[in-house]
Amino acid sequence: MLSVLIWLPVIGALIVGFWPTNMTAKVSRKISLGVSIAVFIWSLVLMSQFKIGEPGIQFSEFLPWIEALGLTYHLGIDGLSLPLVILNGLLTCIAIYSTDESINRPRFYYSMLLLLNASVVGAFLAQDLLLFFLFYEVELIPLYLLIAIWGGQRRGYAAIKFLIYTAISGILILASFFGLVLLSGASTFEFEKVYAVSLPLGAQFLLLAGILVGFGIKIPLVPFHTWLPDAHVEASTPISVLLAGVLLKLGTYGLLRFGLGLFPEAWAVLAPWLATWAAVSVLYGALNAIAQTDMKKMVAYSSVGHMGYILLAAAAATPLSLLATVLQMISHGLISGLLFLLVGVVYKKTGTRDINVLSGLLNPEGGLPLIGSLMVMGVMASAGIPGMVGFISEFLVFRGSFPVFPTQTLFCMVGTSLTAVYFLLLVNRVFFGRLSANVLNLPPVQWSDRTPSIILAILIVMLGVQPSWMVRWSETTTTAMITHSQAVVQLPSVMISQ
Amino acid sequence: MRDFLIQTSWWVPLYGLIGAVLTLPWSTGIIRRTGPRPAAYFNLLMTVLAFVHGTLVFRATWNHEPYEIVFHWLKAADLDLSFSLDISSLSVGAMELVTSLSLLAQLFALGYMEKDWALARFFALMGFFEGAISGLAISDNLFLTYALLEMLTLSTYLLVGFWYAQPLVVTAARDAFLTKRVGDVLLLMGVVAVGTFAGSLDFPDLYEWAETATLSPTTATLLGLALIAGPIGKCAQFPLHLWLDEAMEGPNPASILRNSVVVAAGAYVLIKLQPILNVSPVALTTLIVIGTVTAIGASMVAIAQIDIKRALSHSTSAYLGLVFIAVGTQWTDFALLLLFTHAVAKALLFMSAGSIILTTNNQNLTEMGGLWSRMPATTTAFVVGSAGLVGLLPLGGFWGLRLGIDDLWIDIPWLVPVLLLVNALTALNLTRVFRLVFLGPKAPKTRRAPEVPWPMAVPMVSLVLITLSIPILMQSLSLLPDWMYINQGAVLLLVGSGLIGTISGAAIDLRRNWSRPVQITLRFLQDLLAYDFYIDRLYRLSVVFAVNQLSRLNAWIDRYVVDGLVNLVGLATMFSGQGLKYNVSGQSQFYVLSIILGLSLLCFLMSWPMLTVLNTQL
Repeated sequence: MLSVLIWLPVIGALIVGFWPTNMTAKVSRKISLGVSIAVFIWSLVLMSQFKIGEPGIQFSEFLPWIEALGLTYHLGIDGLSLPLVILNGLLTCIAIYSTDESINRPRFYYSMLLLLNASVVGAFLAQDLLLFFLFYEVELIPLYLLIAIWGGQRRGYAAIKFLIYTAISGILILASFFGLVLLSGASTFEFEKVYAVSLPLGAQFLLLAGILVGFGIKIPLVPFHTWLPDAHVEASTPISVLLAGVLLKLGTYGLLRFGLGLFPEAWAVLAPWLATWAAVSVLYGALNAIAQTDMKKMVAYSSVGHMGYILLAAAAATPLSLLATVLQMISHGLISGLLFLLVGVVYKKTGTRDINVLSGLLNPEGGLPLIGSLMVMGVMASAGIPGMVGFISEFLVFRGSFPVFPTQTLFCMVGTSLTAVYFLLLVNRVFFGRLSANVLNLPPVQWSDRTPSIILAILIVMLGVQPSWMVRWSETTTTAMITHSQAVVQLPSVMISQ
Repeated sequence: MRDFLIQTSWWVPLYGLIGAVLTLPWSTGIIRRTGPRPAAYFNLLMTVLAFVHGTLVFRATWNHEPYEIVFHWLKAADLDLSFSLDISSLSVGAMELVTSLSLLAQLFALGYMEKDWALARFFALMGFFEGAISGLAISDNLFLTYALLEMLTLSTYLLVGFWYAQPLVVTAARDAFLTKRVGDVLLLMGVVAVGTFAGSLDFPDLYEWAETATLSPTTATLLGLALIAGPIGKCAQFPLHLWLDEAMEGPNPASILRNSVVVAAGAYVLIKLQPILNVSPVALTTLIVIGTVTAIGASMVAIAQIDIKRALSHSTSAYLGLVFIAVGTQWTDFALLLLFTHAVAKALLFMSAGSIILTTNNQNLTEMGGLWSRMPATTTAFVVGSAGLVGLLPLGGFWGLRLGIDDLWIDIPWLVPVLLLVNALTALNLTRVFRLVFLGPKAPKTRRAPEVPWPMAVPMVSLVLITLSIPILMQSLSLLPDWMYINQGAVLLLVGSGLIGTISGAAIDLRRNWSRPVQITLRFLQDLLAYDFYIDRLYRLSVVFAVNQLSRLNAWIDRYVVDGLVNLVGLATMFSGQGLKYNVSGQSQFYVLSIILGLSLLCFLMSWPMLTVLNTQL
């Protein structure tokens, strides 16, 4: 069942890429869109079959692969990975749909996108450390190519930077995995077996450091973040959507699954530092975003800030805050996806992303009124205005983390008001005011430009009004994670005294 | 029937939201053929429904026990977010005030905004506004209250920024949002903290918790200050008061609501929070101080304004300052009554101001004059609104202020002069505005001004009648005290202060032609007041400057230090690689040399421990 999610896009990628006869751009687009929609629908089918009350992994698939290495093909899904798998399916469909129809080398492009989809799903589904690492590394190749070939002017620099950063992240993670298995003397890399081992605290710290830095690069956390703005600015719109929406989540997923999951004792000791790190990341990202003049860079730095909340909640590790991490991942995926799509439309129509050049785009005649309205909405969602999904997930992050780390949580909250500052700057400059003479006679906006953003906007509002539709899938799993880590460590009662 | 009405009372805020949603086809431009009017009619219809439904619910709740409706919204891990709504005659009455004023303001807008191309968007925002405020009135849960306050912030931003093509509007909308947002985020900190301490966010639970809470003094103070920050921003109190003045750039019908019920919503939340604030005496003192500073400062600033809307909006801040004093001294009944009478009278004043602005196309007081004969209804509205605002027997403002004097007389007598001073200054300001606008010779811009059209006159005159009948209404709700118990000294003082204000307002020199005095001290004083004590410049030089510079510094560090280091590593790698490639010379003696050198270095390093051992032994 789960293998379909991985192998269907791979087959699709092979067909699009290597079909012997000539294939027009249109056909390749249709095939890849069809495949991605099929994968998405299949993930929805899985969701409908998913048993909510069960904390463990479901739909498990197991094949021994290279037994001498301890590598097995073991897939499974639980409440932590299910929402991310669905998010990935949705955003892949949107990315393919919103791709420019006259793109260069379409067959190569679409096959790379499908391959990216397959590898990311694989990483979320893998139940074996080595298998996870394989998918984590495989995802690098298509993404590198997607940035390096279809990117902006400095795409070579950005792509290589991304590649080197992520490769280092992969090496650190692999080293930690090997270290864990070697030190514990386990014979396999399967999660279930590895979870059971316990190491001396010193070894845990060493291995956790590798995990933290490795996934910290991917998330990204300050100071390992500088690849992200470059990659975002150079990548084309659909790739930015995927990068911000799904790929960053690999980092937070890994942090939760392997950092908190494998080394709960060391995690508990380091938690205050992690929370501080999160606060620094949040404020640093927000302050940097204020100073940007490129819209895409601004949104990219806001990602740095907003992903920091997830680290805060993960550090606090209360049942509520862990649930909030999942919600924040989903909400950030939807909101940043929406923002990147809209910035992409503005760039496509006006040819610039500079907030000092653009102005008055809300103008109903000759501007982009609907795109502007959606932008206002997306921005407000990101700033955490109620009625949209950003609010409830941030509230749960804060509410869940406050009992454990009050000071750090308060600093992170300052970050939300800074979010309002930079996004208001963006909206005020770009969309309010008089329509600037530089951008008169814009080409008309097609419905195909709007549809993906409207879908995301509807989801943002829907889940914001009815967050229990998100919460129910993950609640059991995150609670079980807490009990697991608490069983290992007798956490000191850190509830602050009243 | 009664049960049904009460059970469905939560529909009332929804009507406004539904109206907002119904306008979408017009505001997004899907339906163009009909023009934007149908959207406005839908909204009006929804507001009428809300008003009628609200009235029925009010009658059903009158003289009955409060009723509670609970919604289970989200249950996540150990957190249960359910919303309880408090259906009592007080909360439903507040909701009723909101819907009725919103109905009148929307009717007014039908005339005022007639030629605006974005009429549908305006009505959508008004519906949203109305829904959020009436929801606030019946909310009995701090989380829901916070969420609705944030929605108010958003809709204020959009309403102030309604004419977004004008540069002043853009900055005004930004300032309104950010100022309120500062208050809101501090409030959110308070909400998260109090939710953690008390375990529930329903007001009754919080009150219970506050009675027995044992917080450390610092925590209690911080909590109290965080909780009052939200209302400070919403009610335009010092130091978060500048937005209301700037927000006057927005369309007038929205200003009617903003100056009457939106600020009142913030104060209403404060009143709801008051029992929790008892944990922190510092917060209560802060309320009194902020209220006093704002009340006196804003009353004085109002006198120096030459923009008609700004002259009125500063007095809103002043009256809300009095409400803050009332909450700080724990006289909730005074606060509520003052909010009610102020809301009605201020709405009327703003309607009258809107009529003047529409017919003269002008907001500058110095360019007006002699309107009384041309616009009788507007003149009446202004006079009645002013009379209802200040302590003039027997209208609403009198009863509100009188209660305050009575209450404070016992507790903190030194606050009574503050009330009297605000009353006198307000009377002075209103008299000044009245003289400038309605009396005196006709100015070019007022010579041909006609009376306003029906859609604006009807709501204005209705509100005149409502303002006049407030004493009767209060009598029927048995809110008026017996004459026997009235403190006659207080009445005399109040009426006297109003008289002094009016007389000095009538006596001062008003010269339209040179509005800046020649005397240097007077000129300094006038500028100081006209520019709001230069507080906006102070902010620009402090907070805004600091955030700006900090973000630039941060961006610089990011670009040149963090990223620079990364690029340096990259460069170093590339250069060393480039440099080393010249070693490939093809001469074998060089290869042998480098192998020998390398090997000897390796040997040396490997034998280093041994050498050190030898060294120590020797």
